[in-house]
Amino acid sequence: MRTAAGRRQSKWVVPLFSLALGLVFLGIQWANGDPGSGLVSLAIMAAFGAVFLFGGKSETIRGLRGDGRDERFRRIDVNATAFAGVVLIVYAIVGFMVELAHGNDGSPYGLMGAAAGLAYIAAVVWQRIRS
Amino acid sequence: MRNLVRELRVEQGLSQGELAKAMDVSRQTINSIEQERYTPSLPLAIGLARYFGKTVEEVFDANGSR
Repeated sequence: MRTAAGRRQSKWVVPLFSLALGLVFLGIQWANGDPGSGLVSLAIMAAFGAVFLFGGKSETIRGLRGDGRDERFRRIDVNATAFAGVVLIVYAIVGFMVELAHGNDGSPYGLMGAAAGLAYIAAVVWQRIRS
Repeated sequence: MRNLVRELRVEQGLSQGELAKAMDVSRQTINSIEQERYTPSLPLAIGLARYFGKTVEEVFDANGSR
């Protein structure tokens, strides 16, 4: 029987991941000849990471970064992820229709919608097999 | 789901934080269960019932909600 808390992630993972992403953005933008924008990207990602690292009094921050995640927060996370997925799928469908209406081929929204639809079907099949 | 978690916790002189620590969940989760906003998983419901020396049916009423 799985415990209520389950496996918890270190509070350092999300802040360090943010910082690493910021460094990658800096590298990409620097390579494209725009180190100034790269430094801005790094600063934004580092600030984001700092909020997560030092915002431990907030249940939302602790849950998002993983160390305060119990079964209730995992359910919140699943619902929030599903909501974000629906928003993205609607965005892709509307974007596809707008692009078609402008006489274009619907890209990149058509591919986004197809990827989302296929991922959803694959997840349903996988979950059905597992449960 | 209607439950007696708050009554049993107060009876034992425990704070929400202490019960949360014993159950390895957040204080807010205990609060949500007591306020009947969150229905705990079966493992957590069993854990709470065992902690208070009761059965799950004695602590939780599946037919009741405020």
